[in-house]
Parts: sequence; C-alpha cells; structure tokens
Amino acid sequence: MLFTQLWDLFIAFARASNLGFGGGPAVIPLIKIEVVERYHWLTNAQFTDALAVGNALPGPIATKLPAYVSYQVAGWLGVLVSLIGTILPTVLAVILLTGFLMKYSNSPILKGMLKGVRPVVVVLIAQTAFDMGIGTFPNLITWGIAAVTVVSLYWLKLHPALIIVLSMAFGLLVFR
Amino acid sequence: MLKKLWELFIAFTRASNLGFGGGPALIPLIKAEAVDRYQWLDNEEFADALAIGNALPGPIATKMAAYIGYKEAGWLGVLVALLGTIAPTVLIVVILGSLIVKYSNSPELKAMLKAVRPVVVVLVAQTAYDMGKKSFPNYSSWGIAIVTVALLYFVNIHPAFIIIAAMLFGWAAYGRIRKEKVQDSQK
Repeated sequence: MLFTQLWDLFIAFARASNLGFGGGPAVIPLIKIEVVERYHWLTNAQFTDALAVGNALPGPIATKLPAYVSYQVAGWLGVLVSLIGTILPTVLAVILLTGFLMKYSNSPILKGMLKGVRPVVVVLIAQTAFDMGIGTFPNLITWGIAAVTVVSLYWLKLHPALIIVLSMAFGLLVFR
Repeated sequence: MLKKLWELFIAFTRASNLGFGGGPALIPLIKAEAVDRYQWLDNEEFADALAIGNALPGPIATKMAAYIGYKEAGWLGVLVALLGTIAPTVLIVVILGSLIVKYSNSPELKAMLKAVRPVVVVLVAQTAYDMGKKSFPNYSSWGIAIVTVALLYFVNIHPAFIIIAAMLFGWAAYGRIRKEKVQDSQK
C-alpha cells in the first residue's frame, strides 16, 4: 500500500516535472493534473491553498508543491520520492550530457521546438488559473480581492508574498 | 574541499531562499552568487549553463544548482547545492501544509483561505500573462494556442501529447529557419 503510494508519487511528479518547459511555473498545470484530476490527492480548492503557501514562500515552486502534497499522502518518505522524481532526471541530464546539450542548446531545431511549445505552456497556465477560479468567487467581496490584487501587483508593485499575507488577514476579519 | 562545499551550500541557500516567484525569478540571484561573488563561472559560462538548463524541462533552479555544484565539487557539490536550494522551503512548506490540514475545520483558517484563493488565481493568471507576452511572436503561435484550447476542452487529451505535438510542430515549422531565431531565443 505504502509502496504503491510512493511509486504513484514518484511517477506523478516525474511526469509533471519532466514535461514542463519553462521552469517551475510551467510545471504547475501538469502537477495540478496529476494531483487533482488523476490521483485525487487534493481537491481543486486544496490545490489552490497549496499554491498560496508555495507562493508566500521563496524558492523554486516545482519543489515546494511536491513536498506539500506528498507529505500529506505518504509522510517524509513521500516527500523524498516526489522530490527525486521532480529533480533527478534533469539533474542527471545537466551533468552527464553537458557536452551534448551545449551543442544542442543552440541548435535551431531545439529553439524551434521550444518556440512551438511556449504557446501551449501559456494556455495550460491560463487554464489552471481558470479552473482554480471555479468556486473561488462565491461573492462580490472575493471579486474585490481579485481586483485589489491586480492593482497591487501592477500599479502598486506590492510583493506577491505580502499580498498573500494581507489577504489572509483581511479574510480573518471579514469572512469569519 | 569542505570550505567549497560550505560555500556551495550557503550560496544556493541564499539565492534560492531570497527569491520569490519560482525558479525563473531566482536566476539573477544565482548569477550574483556564482558569477559575481564566488567567480565559479564567468558571464559566458553562466549563459551556457542557463541555455543548457532551458533546453531541458522541469525546475530551472535545481538544474543550475546541479550544474554549478558538479563543476565545482563533483557529486558531493551537487548534493549540497541542491540541499541548499530546496531543503529550507521544503521543510517550511511541509510544516505549513500540515498546519492547514490539522486546522482545516477551524473557521479562522477557512476565512483566511477563502480570502487568499482569489489572490492565487490572479497570481497564476499573471504568470500566464507574463509568459504570454514573449510567447506569441507570430500568427502560427496563436494557432498553436487555439488548437491547444480546442484539444483541452473538446477532446480532453492529456497535455503531454499536446506538448510533444507542439514541439514536433515547432521543429518542422521553425526549426529550419536559421537567422531570425536569435531575438526570441532568450526568454
């Protein structure tokens, strides 16, 4: 039972990480598909909470999400296998295939492939935002929070982590 | 050797744990440590390492840590650089996550989460928007986006297939034109 869970965690995060081109943020939609839709480890709302915690903290997002999810599924062993699945394949590739990658990273073929995949990544992230939005806006106040967030990000240039903390304080005052 | 390992650990701990916004936001901080402070690489070598990292999928911060850690101190260097990069936030995220699960029935936590979810939706939408600004240099990239939306909503296909298909399309459509590629190669 534990073994199959560990295997599922390993394979889910290995798949999500190693298909996402564009660094951690490109991996978020693929993680959501594994965690919410395929394995049902978290609900849509719980996944949004995980992202809130992840975004409130510094560091790579593609390792915070696996740690958050897999600890709840299978404890520290789960954290370990999901992180190995997330980083090991590309860590090995970067070290063992350096010479090959050095040549191939400037090839027009690879650049063409990355250019082709970028719109897909954008659509996947936008879809993730849309999916997470379902159920997130039960009333006008939540729309107001979203509007204030946009203003804070683009005009006031507030730090995202600060917006996350402030919104939680606001929720504590208003929604309780 | 021990000093080098310690430097790798502390450099990547500092770079990773002072930058918000996921791996790509950490790149300038990693550069500040690896190029400016410790001079493990020069500017050009750093650009090469970044190009190699961007050629591969997955989180960028761990690829950079692995590359630089290996170059400076072999496999042990890889290990300490990776630990510095991910261990602190992994620990904190696990603790916060278990607190959220433990208090999931508390009205206070529910109220806080209800207010934070719209913020997260906006942050993810912003990521899509920011990436989108650099991802649509021509009409065919819009075409790829439209086909992606159609496949996701009407065919319900796993994104892996769309990603692989888009890469093959990119190879065929953009892979052979050599000159005009330069300006959009850097993200």
